[in-house]
Amino acid sequence: MLCYARFRDRLGSLTNGSGKLPDKIIEVRDVDFSRGNRTIFRNLNLTIERGQVTAIMGPSGTGKTTLLQLITRQLRPDRGQVLVDGVDIATLSQAQLYQLRQRFGVLFQNGALLTDMSVFENVAFPIREHTRLPDSLIRHVVLTKLHAVGLRGAADLMPSQLSGGMARRVALARAIAMDPDILLYDEPFVGLDPISMGVIVKLVGQLNDALDITSIVVSHDVHDVAAVADFSYVIADGDVAASGTPEELRNTSSELVKQFMHGLPDGPVGFHYDAPDYAEQLLGTRSDSR
Amino acid sequence: MFRDIYVTFHGFLQNFGAMCLFLARLVQYTPSVLIKRYSLVTYQVYNAGALSIVIIMVSGLFVGGVLGLQAYSNLERFNAEDTTGIFAGFALIKEIGPVITALLFAGRAGTSLASEIGLMKATDQLSAMEMMAVDPLRYVAVPRFLGGVISMPLLTAVFTTVGLLGAHLVAVELLGVDVGAYWQQLQSALDMEDVYEGIIKSVVFGIIASLMAVWEGYNSVPTAEGVGRATTRTVVITAIAVLVFDFMITAWIL
Amino acid sequence: MQQTRTMEVGTGLFALLGIGALFFLTTQTTGNNDFDADATYLVEARFDNIGSLKKRAPVSMSGVTIGRVTDIRFDSESLEAVVSFVVDSQYDQIPDDSDASILTAGLLGSQYIGLTAGGSEFYLEDGSEILFTQSAIVLENIIGKFLIGGPPEDEEE
Repeated sequence: MLCYARFRDRLGSLTNGSGKLPDKIIEVRDVDFSRGNRTIFRNLNLTIERGQVTAIMGPSGTGKTTLLQLITRQLRPDRGQVLVDGVDIATLSQAQLYQLRQRFGVLFQNGALLTDMSVFENVAFPIREHTRLPDSLIRHVVLTKLHAVGLRGAADLMPSQLSGGMARRVALARAIAMDPDILLYDEPFVGLDPISMGVIVKLVGQLNDALDITSIVVSHDVHDVAAVADFSYVIADGDVAASGTPEELRNTSSELVKQFMHGLPDGPVGFHYDAPDYAEQLLGTRSDSR
Repeated sequence: MFRDIYVTFHGFLQNFGAMCLFLARLVQYTPSVLIKRYSLVTYQVYNAGALSIVIIMVSGLFVGGVLGLQAYSNLERFNAEDTTGIFAGFALIKEIGPVITALLFAGRAGTSLASEIGLMKATDQLSAMEMMAVDPLRYVAVPRFLGGVISMPLLTAVFTTVGLLGAHLVAVELLGVDVGAYWQQLQSALDMEDVYEGIIKSVVFGIIASLMAVWEGYNSVPTAEGVGRATTRTVVITAIAVLVFDFMITAWIL
Repeated sequence: MQQTRTMEVGTGLFALLGIGALFFLTTQTTGNNDFDADATYLVEARFDNIGSLKKRAPVSMSGVTIGRVTDIRFDSESLEAVVSFVVDSQYDQIPDDSDASILTAGLLGSQYIGLTAGGSEFYLEDGSEILFTQSAIVLENIIGKFLIGGPPEDEEE
């Protein structure tokens, strides 16, 4: 709870002591972003409500992970702003940014556990780095976090000894080690067996309610996300294609969203990657077909 | 065609500049890392230095032996086999010791550093650190760089010493050069400056080899293929840079 | 825990080995032919021809190395070579009329300065100049003279 008070203080300082916090914890305003010649976002606008689980969905390759990186300033937008609690994160100094990042907990696609230390040390890592707590207290905190994801018994294992699902749960324990305000999940359901997936789905909802935090889940797994999300954005072609509660999205009229939500093989997102005409390429001269 | 050359040159320049800035940042963070995270540095000294000791000693023994053999068989023609020690000593201390140690270091420790950092990058460990508000440059890059820089002179000294013993074994024990002549000739011919030259070289090579490994790993393309390419590049670039710098340092000192 | 201990022991061993090797290289491979800059005095000598004398060549007396050449330059007024060398200050009783000659170690060896003691009661000290010098014997000159005929002179003065 001491940590909690510290976070409130920090929040207060970030909102210039106005005391009351806006409902929109994260706001993405008019963001353009491109990698090389490829435009990933054009004029992207979305907001994340405090205390909710927000899902960001979309076909592969639409830049969902990029969006997370923009929110945490691992990348900077070409144009536009990303606001966290009303503060434009592009204006933060390195020290302020690092302070802000302590409010984020991120679960990476494959866990991203540090391979040269044990499960226990992995969870203890952010605590050791940012606090001067005595070892006994760190032990206490770490075991609590591991217990929350059901892996207290695995504390002495090395990351290489864990299954994919376990690794992701350890990474989740690490992500909540510093009691963050915002938890970001990058494709948390990919490549898991149904049981592990069920565990993660349960944990996402549980942690959000128990820790009173805001969660952002990036995924293309429609059904599992629908089970936990309060609100969803569907991103396609560099912009928000649709938004709403899972129920609203399911009953949408948009062709693209319908295709995505129901997993239809063909539709606005074509089955074929852009290519010259099939017959022409097969029969045509070599010169124009590579 | 000219455009290609220009683009290549421009790319090289940009790369080189970025690398110099990278080195500057490594050096800038060195004091704080040495104070706050010395245990990480110690671990990297173990990783880069202690784990390389076997390959260094075995290579040193045989390189020294072959030098003794070559020197003896050539000097014998002039009845000057007593000066075998001078030849082996000069070659080992001034040139072969630092250069071969650096090449072996690039192959043993450099590749492991580059691939380790590359893998950490490919598996998002570096991003994860950044997201936990831990600067991966301080936590990952600087300790590895320092570990290499500290290890290289020590490894070079071990290599050279073992090499001298190897030459001693071959020349004195096998070929019958007088033991007094071997060491006395060596001692009278070598100056402190010669030893310093070897030490200076080993320090410079240590900086080069560690910088290349950390740089290539840190800037590798985060895929399996990219990490493989980074390790190859580490060895190739380190080897070339070490040989070029060896020439430049020798020319500068003489 | 066990792992940490292995690591620490390994690092310690490595550091000891490395430092030991450095110590060996700096103390055992170099002879005692370096002279402490504080404990020497500087002497000059002028030669018509120094042959292939190099900086850091030894200066010896009766076969014992007592000093080292520190500088060689050409005096454009007197058209002579000026050789400076330091002598270890423990040898502070060398007569100031001693004779310096440039000699060759062996038939084709490197050249060095040999001092032959004179009889003066005054000794060389810092800044002294040796007045009696013998230039290097240049092999080509001797052979040349021999071919042209006549016995080679002792020295080409």
